[in-house]
Amino acid sequence: MWTTALISGISLGSFYTLIALGFALIYGVTRNFNLAHGELLVLAGYAAYWLWKTWTIPFLMTFPAAVIVMLVACFVLQRLFSRLGEPRELNSIVLSFGIVILLQNAMLFLFSSDYRLIRVPAFGKGLFLFDAYISNSQLILLLLSLVVIGLISLLMNRTYLGKALRATIQDKEAAALAGIHVKAMGTIAFSLGAVLIGLAGPLYGATHYLYPSTGHSVTLLAITITIFAGVGRMRGVILAGWILGLAESVAVILLGASWREMVGAVLLISFLFFKPHGILGKGEQ
Amino acid sequence: MKKNPENYRNVFFILFKHLTLVICLLISSFLGEADAASTIKIGEINPLSGKFAQQGIEIHQGVEVALAEANEAGGIGGQRLELISRDDQSLPDVAISRAEELCGKIQVIAITGGYVDSLVGPISEVARKYKIPYVASASLQKELVMNKNPYFFRVSRLQGFVEPLCGALAEQFHPERLAIIHASTPGSTELARDLEACLQSRGITVALMEKFRPGTPDFTPLIGKLASMNIDVIISGGFTPDHMLLIRQLKENRVSPKAYIGPFGIAYESFMQAMGDDAEYLFSTSAWAPEFTLPGTEKTSDAFVQRFRRMFNRQPNTTNMHGYTSAQALIGAIREVVNRHMPLTGDNIRRMLSEIDMALPMERLVFDLQGDPKHYNHVVVQIRKGKIEAVYPPQRATATAIYPMPGWDQRK
Repeated sequence: MWTTALISGISLGSFYTLIALGFALIYGVTRNFNLAHGELLVLAGYAAYWLWKTWTIPFLMTFPAAVIVMLVACFVLQRLFSRLGEPRELNSIVLSFGIVILLQNAMLFLFSSDYRLIRVPAFGKGLFLFDAYISNSQLILLLLSLVVIGLISLLMNRTYLGKALRATIQDKEAAALAGIHVKAMGTIAFSLGAVLIGLAGPLYGATHYLYPSTGHSVTLLAITITIFAGVGRMRGVILAGWILGLAESVAVILLGASWREMVGAVLLISFLFFKPHGILGKGEQ
Repeated sequence: MKKNPENYRNVFFILFKHLTLVICLLISSFLGEADAASTIKIGEINPLSGKFAQQGIEIHQGVEVALAEANEAGGIGGQRLELISRDDQSLPDVAISRAEELCGKIQVIAITGGYVDSLVGPISEVARKYKIPYVASASLQKELVMNKNPYFFRVSRLQGFVEPLCGALAEQFHPERLAIIHASTPGSTELARDLEACLQSRGITVALMEKFRPGTPDFTPLIGKLASMNIDVIISGGFTPDHMLLIRQLKENRVSPKAYIGPFGIAYESFMQAMGDDAEYLFSTSAWAPEFTLPGTEKTSDAFVQRFRRMFNRQPNTTNMHGYTSAQALIGAIREVVNRHMPLTGDNIRRMLSEIDMALPMERLVFDLQGDPKHYNHVVVQIRKGKIEAVYPPQRATATAIYPMPGWDQRK
């Protein structure tokens, strides 16, 4: 039972990370608080579902299409956000809230109010790993999330582009003075965010379910993990996702399923109180 | 000022413009009154968007069928029935404002629709304030009928789920280790408690009782717990998306209970389509399906199915029938008021509702003193080859239950 909880916690935590990375990146670089993050993810899931169901395209092949859809959607979103004045965070909340309503109704119109699933036969199987059973869906969630997280970490830490992105996250004005094209960084952040959402969407449809109004719980999750991690801390996002996933799994075993969200909320409040700069923050001002 | 012909022309033009406007307004108000006089306005509030949109839309469709049927038959006393629909967006505060609009501003004579107690409850209080009868389509919480609201009626009740489930478990399934997991909603929690009490009275112990939030993203730890306790029968009081995730994760983790029973949200074509073969052998309950209607109502049921198919191009389900039944109750009561030459007031409609006795496909509709339906009873069903088969009680069964369900490894 404990091994199950451990595997489930890490697998779910990795997926949480994948969901939150796009949000954290866009917010960190552009300071746009995108409340429509979850709706975009669900939209990517629906795009994959439509291809899988209507054109019987194999599940894996739906990822590139979902990424393209998200690149277009995020391009439009960025154009809209770029018109906003200060205070940027507040204005972006208002704008993205409007987009949430628009997207939810559009999805309701296009895909109806039925719950949709992408059925991947391989997900129903699994394998034993050191006497512990791990299902294929958990394994794929874990591996894909780790690969994406690894690539993002490499990009952020080993490339000039990553350094420029991090510099923009830390201090926009200083980055601009250092010759970094801050506006271009915003476009790159939105594009990377779109790729991450485009990868998470089909996975969400294959491991959870799609429904026009499920996006808000995804957004809430992304916000929670970004707060855990501390704004702009990509490594913190990974750690925060795992901690949340594990804490929720252990809470179900120890305390019962009804305590799951309570434990997440207590963790969030504790982090805000004791580590207001995030899980890896050092208390800087 | 000079007497300029241009000025006269301008004054005349302005006067003409205003006069035309006044005439138009008068005509439209006359037309409006004439239209209002020839229709009976019935209000309907449903979650047409938000998290309960699917069920809200289905109830709305059922209500539409009932009204279309009545209007095609000539309306009531020569007057057409006009349905004024509002979307509560699955939010209680919006439900209140929509009810205020329908009762206070539009002044409908009665309200129907409504899904889940958190939305139905607030609407029922507004209806009480305006003394307008409200027949809820889908509501279970006992507290709502204990408020002694004389204007509140509903076509469903919790015992309608509990009795057949308890009977099937005690008489057919005989579980050794049973778990009840339920959503943290009032209706689901009450169902779990009442079912536990009923099972205990029949000698069945509940080994595990767990509550979860609807929309939980991962059931794997809970499944680990169920497997470690050797649970053989799972009763899940979750809703459609919870079942989808839970069943899928049961399969992924190779946990095969002897029976998985989900009273809410399984016996639906949309669920079966989404789940494919994984929906096979699952148990649920249903108040009505085209395959099993209340004995003696086969003609009405068939007529409903035909009309529904014509209107919406698909097979109706039990939620559609809930909408149809609640609207039929109102139509029946209004017709009775008109036939007795009584003024069409909220109080008169309420009185007729309390006297109603209608044989409808879903139930013989008679309300008790609290507004609860006396004869609302589900049947236990099992999904077999993509169809819903009634398996309990024996007198309404269309097939014998396959119990235990074949394990995931035994299926093709």
